[in-house]
Amino acid sequence: MKLSPVENPLTAEPEIETAHVEEFVEQLRCVTDTLPSRINIDAHNVEQGLAKLVLTLIEFIRRLLEKQAVRRMEGGDLSPEQIEELGLALMRLEAKLQELKAQFGLADEDLNLDLGPVGRLI
Amino acid sequence: MKLYVYCLVEGAATLDQPPHGVSNAPVRILPIDDFAVLVSELDNDAVPLTRDNALAHDAVVRSVLDRTTPLPFRFGTLVTAQQLRSYISTRKPALETNLALVRDCVEMSVKIIWTVLNDNKRERQPSENEQGAGARFLEERRQKLLGDEQRAAEAAEISGWLRETVSGVVRDERVTVRPSEKLVLAAAYLVERSKIKRFRDKIAEAGTARPKLHFLLSGPWPPYSFANIELEFETRLGVS
Amino acid sequence: MEKIVVIEEWESSDLSLLETLDHVLNRGLVIAGEITIAVADIDLIYVGLNVLVSSVETAHEVLRKRETT
Repeated sequence: MKLSPVENPLTAEPEIETAHVEEFVEQLRCVTDTLPSRINIDAHNVEQGLAKLVLTLIEFIRRLLEKQAVRRMEGGDLSPEQIEELGLALMRLEAKLQELKAQFGLADEDLNLDLGPVGRLI
Repeated sequence: MKLYVYCLVEGAATLDQPPHGVSNAPVRILPIDDFAVLVSELDNDAVPLTRDNALAHDAVVRSVLDRTTPLPFRFGTLVTAQQLRSYISTRKPALETNLALVRDCVEMSVKIIWTVLNDNKRERQPSENEQGAGARFLEERRQKLLGDEQRAAEAAEISGWLRETVSGVVRDERVTVRPSEKLVLAAAYLVERSKIKRFRDKIAEAGTARPKLHFLLSGPWPPYSFANIELEFETRLGVS
Repeated sequence: MEKIVVIEEWESSDLSLLETLDHVLNRGLVIAGEITIAVADIDLIYVGLNVLVSSVETAHEVLRKRETT
């Protein structure tokens, strides 16, 4: 097999260049800190996995609803009473979701879906 | 007996002194169709994700990097020989296209942390005290969304600027932008071997030009981010 | 079969390791369904970087080794 000409010899280990090691370490291991030290995969955890999935989708929709509400408020086609009602409803929705997360022992960072090349859902 | 798969290379290749692979298993070359695949034989059902195994996986893939550009497999690929052969023979055209894309290149990785994350704390306007809790809630959300939009616009600008900076020396890029996080941008670039030095210089210049952005440059890597044939396979054969 | 997930203590300040993990875990060719790192059978769950998955036998071995060292 022919050797392709190489300008720089490729090292046995990746070279990392940065002036900010601690910052990048903090960012790259951010997610790992929220994991408990031991997880048992059994029926309970499959349940928790499903809860994560469902709550992530609800959270996604909740954020969309909030955005829509804000747009409508800005658009000026809502009366003050409607704005108040809408705001209260969204507040309650957010509180409910916090309650559900707590019930399943899920933190904010736990709710996300990695859609691969498309990126994360939230 | 299963095969742990590290990477795929074109043609018949020879390995001198292949490093040990995961779980300290020896590595060998398996010719399949017109390709060659680096594998280890393992008896387990699962491969433990340990520091040593992760580093070993990368070390094996990168061991061929000085003579050819491989298509790396993801960590943890443990299959039977038959599954491997079937995978390869059914995707031969896509694999050839992918190999052609990465030929003579390496992957360089750039990550950017931005140091200014405005919290958008603002004084509550007196008129707002007359509002109910619901209206206040919506107003606060509105302010937050404005802040988010601004950050998204700034992040998009950074991404565009970086693309322009390296446009002469990269063949392809895969960029992820996350405006709401400190790690605002993570990019993988496909760079021809002869252009690695120029790429490094351009990134160094970019870092100096924008001191508020903190850069991390790593590489050369085997092209993990560019080894992807699934989309093409599905598009061509209508399989989902 | 019961799967036990045990999380090792990573050398937390190893930037080189973190960068390597970022490459080998989330990218590369995938033979669908055959990636044996899984927290559950639901692939959509984001897998943290310091998760170690093994079959019951291997996990017991790891735990046994820890007790004797």
